Amino acid sequence: MKYVKWFDEISKEDVGIAGGKGANLGEMVKAGFPIPPGFVITINAFEEFLEGAKERGKKAQIARIISEVDVKNTEELEKVSALAREIVESTPIPEKIEEEIREAYRKLCEIVGEEVAVAVRSSATAEDVPDASFAGQQETYLWIKGEDEVVKHVLKCWSSLYTPRAIAYRATKGFDHYEVSIAVVVQKMVNSRSSGVMFTLNPTNGDESQIVIESAWGLGEAIVSGEVTPDRFVVDKVTKEILDRTISPKLVWCVYKDGKVVHEEVPEDLREKPSLSDEEIVYLAEIGKKIEEHYSHPMDIEWAIDKDFDFPKNVFILQARPETVWSQKKKEPVIGKKSGFDLLMERALTPFKIPK
Amino acid sequence: MVVLGNGFPKPLEVEVPKELEGWEEMYPPHYIFSEERKEWEERQFWYLDKIHAPDPMYPFDLIFHEAWQIALSQYNTRVFCIPPAQGVAQRILGCYFYICAVEPPSEETIKKKAELFQKRAFWVFQNYKSEKLYEKWEKKFRELGEYVKNIEVPDLPTFEPEERVIPEPRGYYSSYDLMEAYDKLIDAIFKAWQYHFQYLNLSYLAYLTFADVVRKLFPGISESTIGKMVAGADVVMFRPQEELAKLARLAISLGGRVVEILKSDKSPEEKIEELKIFPEGREWLRAFDEAKDPWFYVSCGSGWFHYEGSWINTLEVPFSYLKSYIEMLEKGETIERDIDEIHKAREKLVEEYRKLIKTDEDRKAFDEAYKIVRDIYDYAENHLFWVEHWFHTIVFEKMREFGKLFVRYGMLNEVDDIFLFNRFEIPMIIEDLVTAWALGENVPPRAEYWKRKAQKRKKILEAARNWTPPPALGTVPEEVTEPFTVMLWGITSEKVSEWIKGVTYRPEEVTEIKGFASSSGVVEGKARVIRFLDEIDQVQEGEILVCPNTNPSWAPVFTKIKAAVTDIGGLTSHAAIVCREYGIPAVTGTGIATQVIKTGDIIRVDGDKGVVTIVKRAEE
Repeated sequence: MKYVKWFDEISKEDVGIAGGKGANLGEMVKAGFPIPPGFVITINAFEEFLEGAKERGKKAQIARIISEVDVKNTEELEKVSALAREIVESTPIPEKIEEEIREAYRKLCEIVGEEVAVAVRSSATAEDVPDASFAGQQETYLWIKGEDEVVKHVLKCWSSLYTPRAIAYRATKGFDHYEVSIAVVVQKMVNSRSSGVMFTLNPTNGDESQIVIESAWGLGEAIVSGEVTPDRFVVDKVTKEILDRTISPKLVWCVYKDGKVVHEEVPEDLREKPSLSDEEIVYLAEIGKKIEEHYSHPMDIEWAIDKDFDFPKNVFILQARPETVWSQKKKEPVIGKKSGFDLLMERALTPFKIPK
Repeated sequence: MVVLGNGFPKPLEVEVPKELEGWEEMYPPHYIFSEERKEWEERQFWYLDKIHAPDPMYPFDLIFHEAWQIALSQYNTRVFCIPPAQGVAQRILGCYFYICAVEPPSEETIKKKAELFQKRAFWVFQNYKSEKLYEKWEKKFRELGEYVKNIEVPDLPTFEPEERVIPEPRGYYSSYDLMEAYDKLIDAIFKAWQYHFQYLNLSYLAYLTFADVVRKLFPGISESTIGKMVAGADVVMFRPQEELAKLARLAISLGGRVVEILKSDKSPEEKIEELKIFPEGREWLRAFDEAKDPWFYVSCGSGWFHYEGSWINTLEVPFSYLKSYIEMLEKGETIERDIDEIHKAREKLVEEYRKLIKTDEDRKAFDEAYKIVRDIYDYAENHLFWVEHWFHTIVFEKMREFGKLFVRYGMLNEVDDIFLFNRFEIPMIIEDLVTAWALGENVPPRAEYWKRKAQKRKKILEAARNWTPPPALGTVPEEVTEPFTVMLWGITSEKVSEWIKGVTYRPEEVTEIKGFASSSGVVEGKARVIRFLDEIDQVQEGEILVCPNTNPSWAPVFTKIKAAVTDIGGLTSHAAIVCREYGIPAVTGTGIATQVIKTGDIIRVDGDKGVVTIVKRAEE
């Protein structure tokens, strides 16, 4: 295939063809992490779609229009954005590209064994790079089902390269509108029983011997939007012992119902219950540690537990980003310059406070 | 019962049931709470020492405690001079054994001790390996044990043998020999216990120092992980079990008949007789005899009580383990601990944490504190076998030789009745006996007096078993300055509040108890409450063991259970160490588990949190 690459055909070197998010997912699949199956519609597809034989020069044309706009003028920015997106969305997709997308989706359905609901996300070339975080700049469409819908939303993702925010962002950062390109990730939706985030250090104090998992019932949206106080589990990174668990009453969850994501009250009997089992906590922590080792950097990871599968096949990693707050802090000594005998003397002189 | 503001009664206000009347005379007078020391005694915090004395104290068995009160304390206060630490004092109340870490000394004394400590303790830490201090200790200690084994308990002859009189009269005779034999034994016991603490206080201090460093670097780290970093794998304590494993393998390699005999339901004596009659059997017996001393000188209990028995005089215990080991081998299961694996796992654990340390300075501090504890910690792990198991077994055997003599001369009814008398009283019995012997034919000793006393004391001890004494007395301290109190008895404020619970709550109303998170993991299952090792065959596969505490002779049961809960013991207690090795959860030092939990209760053991929950009570 020319325009579609499955995750296992991509690595982190492929930002140029799969965008940041796509390259990242490919890298994680390659490293053996449990990523929901899917594929990337490469940058080549987008480039050929806008710059190919029939539609020659459309990308350049758009770039010309928007590079003249004053991004501080909101009204003008929105007008230009709408125009650019209209150009993209009205451009017919070359047949060979569309057929590859459809074929890949059909294959994904075959793998999963049903007409699968997917997430269609844009993956820009400069996204998810630690020093220029494009995260969230482009669009994500969830719970998309059926070939036609997939194709339609791929087109929407492509046009999302020209949302007012994206245009303004590139202008302030000095990126060239013509140079930036976009890939699209199509990935099986996780039918989340629980979901959340995981940090491979303790975000409260920067302790790198710990992994902290935040978790709530249902889709991740409820945590991200701050609607629910998640359960919090602290795991020892070395021994995988669960050092601390705080179970919060979880009143709201996001679930997928009748074709859309709805916010609902959590059933009474689930509210006070931990949203992860011990084995899931430990398994997640093990994956977290491996991801950190793989990237040689503390990481910030999104994950979900799929209710359609049994443990451990139900654990999925959705996203992994380098942690930026603590990892950039200067490391100060805790004990300081003390010999073993200094320490012994100190201990011998101190009354043994009754611990805790 | 009078309950103070802090929840515990004053020592003199505890009412001992009247069935125990006369209990005081079984023990030395300085062991009894008294009016003249009242003010000092009420200011201290006394707690029941269930590690060493879960049951009413037999008068003779107190001897080891008398010895350790002196020895442990003097190392803190007069020898290595741990600055703010004083000794651990003991009392007996209604036959139950209480201890207390004495309040700290004056500031001035602390300062003086600090200087001495620095010089003396540092020397030990610096030279422990290079001067082979452990090896020297073990050699000397084993010599002492051999010395006790060789003490001859003489019979009283009708006439002294010729060679003691002609050509040159010896000058002293069997009456003296008997008195001397007893004195030698008592002296050796006190010496052994002075040896016992030679490096123990310092090795505990090294552990606490390292634990402090680790907790500062990794504030949330669990205690059991610290224990795992320090614990040795090739400790003497595991040898008895390893010897059994070897004997099981030997049996299998020798083939059908040996295996068949060892797997049969016959008594150990019958098995040994049958093995004697064919070459392979004899070969196995030779290996068995070789392993016996010292490795089967392991108590079936804690080692502290004569009635617990030891493998060498309770052969049913090692033989039943042999049987199950052979069966496990036949099923293709492994019975040995993979020491290399355990070593590697520990090194990996330490290395991973070490890598997480962010600065070179901290890493250096960690390395130094770790080296100090690793160098000396074998002492903490190994002394236990040599003193409490091997040496105590020798002592109890020797005492029984005196007991047999007393029975032979009608001074006592039963051999073990000797343990109903304290160490100061036994010389009186000996003196009574040798006086009668010396006086000549038909002179009666006062045998009935001793027998009556023995009978009375049996009744008192029986009554004491039915009494539940308060878990603690006196005033709860804010801080403890004595390393053993934290390390061994695991005294923490949480523990103390559990004890207060024990005073104010009825056991059947308690649904959750706390202890040390000694080995991680969470499991739920059926509880099996075992108070003594001879009940151990009641434990079924997959049950949760609930017991006062464990020791090396319990080791084989850990392959059967899925968690362990103990009344007593911290993170370095036997149960904690073994559970971590077998990867099963353990909560230790709960104080009250065996009182609160009943066999058949469904309990949940959370070895991460140190909490035991009674999920469902067994049907009555």
